[in-house]
Amino acid sequence: MSDLLSIATIALAGIVQASLQLSLGGLVLLYHSSMGHHRRRKTRYLAKSYIWGALVISFLAVCAGAFLIEHTFQGVIAQEAVFVISGMLLASAIVMWLFYFRRGKQSTQTWLPKSLTRYITRRARATGDNIEAFSLGMLSSFVELPLTLAIYAVVANCLVSTTQPFIALGVYLVIIAVPMVALKIRIKTGRNVAEVQRWRIRNKAFVRIISGSGFAILAAFILTYWGL
Amino acid sequence: MARHKKITYEYSHDGVKQSVMRYAKGVRQPEGWAEQMAERVACVTDKWIADKDIVTEDDLRKVIIKELERLNEDVAFAYRNHDKII
Repeated sequence: MSDLLSIATIALAGIVQASLQLSLGGLVLLYHSSMGHHRRRKTRYLAKSYIWGALVISFLAVCAGAFLIEHTFQGVIAQEAVFVISGMLLASAIVMWLFYFRRGKQSTQTWLPKSLTRYITRRARATGDNIEAFSLGMLSSFVELPLTLAIYAVVANCLVSTTQPFIALGVYLVIIAVPMVALKIRIKTGRNVAEVQRWRIRNKAFVRIISGSGFAILAAFILTYWGL
Repeated sequence: MARHKKITYEYSHDGVKQSVMRYAKGVRQPEGWAEQMAERVACVTDKWIADKDIVTEDDLRKVIIKELERLNEDVAFAYRNHDKII
């Protein structure tokens, strides 16, 4: 696979991951609770730590995957593994289309168990320093692992096959950071959390369709280029 | 069969005020306006609760949201939907 194709695949995987809503929702929650408690300056630092936390988990997962592929499978994943990854991506597409958001007009609640979302909400409220915000970012990224696992596998395999792994990794991390950074900029430029949340509610269906289609396209792409 | 614990709290003017202020500041309302708004809402809930022995948290929330909708739509929205973000 050429470098350009690898980076394009990573970019598509990054876009699909960026369309997932849990990390963004966690950041909205953090902004909301932190602005009620702390000064804006402190909230900015907390948000920055949260974003770093979310990125570090993805960075570590992808690097671990690349290491595993390089040293266990000698740089080439088996045909069966490609089918499994494609299947997981296709299943994720169906989950996105049908189950990702819970029903409810005024909500952006996701498929996660209520106890887990309550825990994240409670942690967001209790977050008072940068380490906690960093951990919250890691947690929010980690709990979406059932959907992101296949994406990590795709990105890891692309990193192993390209001659420019650092550029590819940079592209991936920048893309997955875009929604969170965009939210940070929106808040910094005067929007409030209620406006952001209304925007998320209005565009919920669009996000679901785009994200689900992204998963399906990635599955078809992987199957075509790696599997056949 | 699901079992629900009954937890009772004593109503407090300051509790309502602090809660509304937190939501108001969370949606970037100026500090002074947030405090005024919280005081007004707490006064309304004081009046509403005066002739009642016991109320549910949901009923109290409804009264707060109704008053907030009159005062500031963003704060009302945040108050109503704070547990529906993720």
